[in-house]
Parts: sequence; structure tokens; C-alpha cells
Amino acid sequence: MSFYPSRIQEHFDRPRNAGEVEGADARGEAGSLYCGALLRLTLAIDPARQTITDVRFKALGCGFLIACASALTETVRELPVSKAAVLTEEAITGWFGGLPAEKLHCAALCREALHLALADYHSARQEEWTDEEALICTCFGVSEKSIERVIRVRSLRTVKQVTAACNAGGGCGSCHMLIEDILSDYWRTRDTLI
Amino acid sequence: MRDDIIYLDNNATTRVAPEVFEAMCPYLADLYGNPSSAHTFGREMRRSLARAREQVAEALGASDASEIAFTSCGSESDNWAIRGALELHPEKRHIITTRVEHEAVRNLCERLERDGYDVTWIEVDGEGRLDVEALGAALRQDTALVSVMLANNETGVIFPIQEIGNLVREHSEALFHVDGVQAVGKIPINLRALPVDLFAVAGHKLHAPKGVGALYVRRGLSLPPFIIGGGQESGRRAGTEAVPYIVALGSACELAHKSDAHALIGRLRDKLEDTILSSIPNARLNGTRDRSERLPNTSNISFEHVEGENILAQLDAAGICVSTGSACNAETHEASAVLRAMNIPYTAARGSIRFSLGRYNTESEIDYTLEVLPPIIRRLAELSPYREAGSSGEAAKA
Repeated sequence: MSFYPSRIQEHFDRPRNAGEVEGADARGEAGSLYCGALLRLTLAIDPARQTITDVRFKALGCGFLIACASALTETVRELPVSKAAVLTEEAITGWFGGLPAEKLHCAALCREALHLALADYHSARQEEWTDEEALICTCFGVSEKSIERVIRVRSLRTVKQVTAACNAGGGCGSCHMLIEDILSDYWRTRDTLI
Repeated sequence: MRDDIIYLDNNATTRVAPEVFEAMCPYLADLYGNPSSAHTFGREMRRSLARAREQVAEALGASDASEIAFTSCGSESDNWAIRGALELHPEKRHIITTRVEHEAVRNLCERLERDGYDVTWIEVDGEGRLDVEALGAALRQDTALVSVMLANNETGVIFPIQEIGNLVREHSEALFHVDGVQAVGKIPINLRALPVDLFAVAGHKLHAPKGVGALYVRRGLSLPPFIIGGGQESGRRAGTEAVPYIVALGSACELAHKSDAHALIGRLRDKLEDTILSSIPNARLNGTRDRSERLPNTSNISFEHVEGENILAQLDAAGICVSTGSACNAETHEASAVLRAMNIPYTAARGSIRFSLGRYNTESEIDYTLEVLPPIIRRLAELSPYREAGSSGEAAKA
């Protein structure tokens, strides 16, 4: 009889991808005031493919958190950033056939660390972006100009429509505010001109 | 005897000693009489009870066997002592106890506080030692009861009962209850020389089975009964006596009293503790370093920046049974009240492990534990997101 349920125990005994990615492109840390746990994710991302090529974790927490973090790393390795950004907790809990209610926050903590790591990556990319036009959607590499163009050409009014038209905003969602701004700027200017 | 586990959790409970088992067995079979019966068979049982009472009295250094009353467990003894003492003096509404009592005392006093009693909670310092001065200063005319444990179950720190009792006697008319559950069988006790009115014992902590305890009630103190019914235990505790268990408690007390196992246990504990503290960089002792103020069998050690539950799980896989002072349950994850009262930093309290040895531990078991533990801690430290956990030596202690 193992200390934890067998599927948890297996990951706890041999956690996948423990450690840190050297020279990581992104780093996300999530802690829980609820249980005092701390999780750190480090990612390597191939900018050409917009894909997570390496991922490592370090965790201080119960066996469930360690198992969830281990499962998360296996899930997002070789995953495009855009898909990782919309990953749900079920993608983690599914590894274990679900989790007891009081341990669901372990999976939530993992998802949060991943989102923070991706946000870290996006802000780094926005800073690094050397093109003249601003990069808005880092998940799909869509610039401000491209978004403006698609709004103008197709008379788009909502973020949803923009995403459908050019993918911008289809990943982590962190650029939705910026797209809103572009939309309202465009339509205000246009309405004024008329 | 199970040889597939190394049992280092003797403060939680202990194995029933073979001698104790042998002593109680006939009472689970042929000797089933009721001590209250008038016939010879019943009288035989009364004699067995009397003998057990003497064995317990002897081990506790009581002046007289009549000072011992049998109960079902340590918690019952504590509850009876506290409720009984308050019932004796209903006009007195003040209780003094400590922040680090066992739940049997702590939760009861919290409840009494909610019920309108004025409770003074005495603090401990960073090494788990009681602020005796504050206790002395807290004594009042209307103090009904002072309740202090003899030895702490988590850290093994021993409180100066003699000194506290003297203060209680000198500055108040309060009754003095001592929760001795964790100390009996581990250190010598001589109640006739101590200013103590009530003293709780639990059988399963000293190699008797679970389900039996005792309360020492100083001669001359007529403590009102907690369980009301028949006239058993001289009218102090109703309910047909659990003869097999009481016989077992008597036998266990005699065994503890005559045993010289303490010295060996102390030597093994010292070896375990010294080696862990000197060889594992992020290890720190919880509780006083002065071993004369600590039970000889207990070591509470924090492995900083490592999760106690993880250590417990890994030791469990290696067949080693220990406890942790931090547990993640459905409601919350917090350090134990004892470690919090000691102001142990959360990152250390979280990784605390209690090793509590007993008379059946062997040197080779300790050696095996010392072989298994360092790689477990190293591996978990490498997994820890706190940088300090993975580093070594002074950096980790700074």
C-alpha cells in the first residue's frame, strides 16, 4: 500500500522534468496562501515554431502538487504556446483520473504557474520585438498593423471577430485589452472622419 | 513482531510489550469475572485490580495505591481532572495552561474559555521552554486550576513541574493538574515528592494496549466523578472496570519502572540526532539542545525548505514510521500549534519530522534510518524551489 494513491505515488516517486531549464526563456512562479505551497516552472521556447521545447519544475508541497507539476510538464512539452495558454486544469487532473476535491487547488496552482510563465515570455518578447510596428499577440506573433488592417478590411467590431480573422488573441488572452484598444481607436477615428 | 517496519513513532503509540500481553491474556479468556461481584470469582478480579493499582502507584511514586483511578484513556483522565477541579470550586473562574498542551487539554480549555472561563495561556520560547515566570505572575485568588504537561509530545521538552508546583502552592489555592501522558515510562516520576494534585496517564504510550488510562488524584482531594453510575473505583469513576486492560497497564508500569531501557533509548536517540544535525545541511533541532530538559527518546528536527509530508511518505516507503508537525488536510495546511507557539519559521516548521524511539528499537534500525534519510532529504531539497534548500553548509544555515 502506497502513501499516496498509486498514480500520484508513481509521479511523486519519479517526478518527470524536475529541475530548472538553464537560460530559460520564461519563468512562472505560483504560490498558495491556502496551503503554503510554492511551484516554479521554467520554459524553453523555440520562437520560430512558437513551441515549448523544454520545461522543468521545482515544487515545495504535498505529493499531489508534485505529481500535478510532473504531469503538467509532460503535457506541455512540445506544445505550441497558443495551446499551452489555453490549457485547463482537467488536462492535468486527467492524468490521475481526477483528484479529490481538497487537492484540486494543486492542479490550479500548476495552471497558474504556466500562465505566469507564458505571460513572462510574452512581456519579454514584446520588449525584444525590434520591428517598427508593435507586437500585440505574442502567442501567434501578430503585429498592431496586421490587426488594424484586418479590422479595416473586414469591418470587425469585436475581439472575437479579430481572433477568427487573424488568430490574434486566440492564445493566452493577455492581449485582449490591447485589441480592444485598437478596435476602439480605429472606430473612433473612422467615425470622426465621417 | 513485525520486522518489515522500523517504528520511530513511539510518542504516537507503542507496541504492546510481550510481557504485558501475556499478563492480560488470561483476563480475555478464563478470568472474565466482574470485580463488583460478591462471589470468589469476582473477588479474584478485585485482587487483580488492586495489584495493578499498586503497580501503577509504584511506578508513579504515589504515596498510596488509592490515589490511582483507572480510566479509558489519557484524554479521559485530562478531561476528568480539569472538569472535576472546576466543579470543586465553581466560584473560581480562572484557569492557567500552556500554548503547547496536548489537544485533550488545549481544546478543552479553549472550550471552557468560550463557556466564560478566563484562561491564561502561558507561552514557550523558541526552544520550547515554558515561561515559568509568567505562569507565576498569572496566579490569582480565583485561579481554580493550573494544567501543565510534564513533557511535550512533539518536542519532548520537559517542563519544570516541581518549580511550577511550588509557585502554585505558594501564590494560590489552585489545584495543579499535570498531563503526564508523554512522560510516564520515559523518565522517572516520583509524585509523592512533587507538589502535584492530579496526574494523567495513558497506557498505550508505555506498551500497554489502547483503551486504558489512569488518573492520579492526591489523597485528601475528593474529585467529583466524571462518569456517573455504579460505585466502581470507590465511586470516582463508574463503569465496569476493563480488567484485562487495567492488568495490562499495571504490568506495563511495572515493566517501565524496573526497566533500564531508557539508557539505551537515549544513546540511540543521541546517535540519530547528532548524525542528522551534523550531516544534513538544512537540518535544525526543534526544542532545547539541553538534553536533560528533553525526553530521552524524542528528536523533533526540521528540514528547512522541504515538505514534511514528502519526507514522511518517502520514509514510509522505506518502512520507517515517523510523524510530521505539519499536515495538509482538507481545511488548511499549517504547522502544529506547538511549533507555531515556538515561533519556528514556517519554512522550517513545514519540514519538521518527529522521531520518537522506544524500547524495541535497535542500533541497526537507527543505522538504517541514517543511511536512508540523507538521500531522501537531498532529493527533496533538489526539488525545492527555495534556493537555500539545495545549497549546503553555512549558506543554508545563514
